[in-house]
Amino acid sequence: MRVELTEDGSRLAKRLQRITGENVMLCYQCKKCSLGCPSAYAMKLKPHELMRALQLGLEDQVLWSGTMWICLSCETCNTRCPQDINILKLIDGLRIYYLDRDYYNPVRELPMMHRLFLKLVRRFGRIYELGLVLILNLKMVNPFKDTDMALPMFVRGKLKLLPHRSEGARELRMVMSRLEAMEEEK
Amino acid sequence: MRYAYFPGCSLGASASDYDLSLKAACRALDIELVEVRDWVCCGASSAHATSHLLSIAMPVLSLSHAEADGFERLIAPCLACLSRFKVANKEMQEDPEVREKIHRAFDYQYRATVKVYHPLEVMTEEGMMEAIRSRVRKKLSGLKVVCYYGCVLTRPPKVAQFDICENPQSMDSIVRALGGEPLDWSYKTECCGVSMTLTRSDIVLKLSSDILRAAREVGAHAIAVCCPLCQANLDSRQIQIEEKYGVHYGIPIIYFTQLMGLAFGAFPRELGLEKLITSPRDALEVCGLM
Repeated sequence: MRVELTEDGSRLAKRLQRITGENVMLCYQCKKCSLGCPSAYAMKLKPHELMRALQLGLEDQVLWSGTMWICLSCETCNTRCPQDINILKLIDGLRIYYLDRDYYNPVRELPMMHRLFLKLVRRFGRIYELGLVLILNLKMVNPFKDTDMALPMFVRGKLKLLPHRSEGARELRMVMSRLEAMEEEK
Repeated sequence: MRYAYFPGCSLGASASDYDLSLKAACRALDIELVEVRDWVCCGASSAHATSHLLSIAMPVLSLSHAEADGFERLIAPCLACLSRFKVANKEMQEDPEVREKIHRAFDYQYRATVKVYHPLEVMTEEGMMEAIRSRVRKKLSGLKVVCYYGCVLTRPPKVAQFDICENPQSMDSIVRALGGEPLDWSYKTECCGVSMTLTRSDIVLKLSSDILRAAREVGAHAIAVCCPLCQANLDSRQIQIEEKYGVHYGIPIIYFTQLMGLAFGAFPRELGLEKLITSPRDALEVCGLM
């Protein structure tokens, strides 16, 4: 593939650096990140390829690869990068920036899960495991996913039917609203 | 020694066995756990994928309660919570911009004086090994265990600041002190994939199956774990894994605190052993514990 390097092409890298403080240009393609990455086999762009695409400003490839959502956040790449690039922080920067933007996402269920997770936590202060699983399964149009796993857990008292409310939920809601107001200011 | 205790969402529900056994092991070792007042979820992988400030604010909320109540040390048994807490503390100490914004969002101004520990860190501190050895009533003789540390207990070393990053030893040394036989294997810190357990189970099944296979290859009777998420994945998904890959494993996934409790002479019921989905009976019969 032929890529014209333009001023415009470095916009993505610069924007990410502003959000995360990490510089993608430091990457020299040693591939240690991809070799250690447990979910690289399921990525269209492996971590080192993602870094290259970011350097070249190939925004569409970055988005359509779904790599940022297939990353498990296990921190292996950060730990092993000889250039000390915090790759997870860059991926988080991508996730945050594109969370509410419209684009074709091949792994839509991931951002959906994060939104639902935080919605439930905002309400109860803690995660409501059963509620999260049930609503998510419905949203993914796969209502009976993992029912074979749920029954043995239920029998052993490992699945609580009702959510646990934390007294700290009110404070959390206040903090979340203040943060949202601060982020809108920008 | 008195610690603030942050159980996290899992230990109240799907990992009540970890909660029970951790408390039993701590009681035996004179580690006092006081639950953090009105704690809330740490944000796990969803907060840091949504907003950086939120991912710091959620741990800070619970940490600030511990600080205001006079605690200097906090124990977090779940690796997701532990890692988020350590990151939050580090950023609050080192990044003035983050600190200023977080302080603006809170009424209480958290000073990041609460140090965060995983139970393994506390139990391998100086003098603890002798204490553990002296409490053992029933040795785990003949029990071959692989210790599985999970993803973020030691990673990244700058944040975790604990144990040897790529080949941790703390849990192995505890199993050895209990009279068991920790085996060498290369999957100690491989990720089990839990952050996608609800969404992309295909990836989770593959990663967890690799871990189970590696454990069987070295001849382990059981896998010892130190995180409720790893446990849930390797234990409750084991049937699905066996079905998908057509192999029978039947390897029990036991919390290291349950092994401690057993060796200290507690009854299996007090440690929630009956809650494990893959029965530990065969493995524990090897050393005459069940």
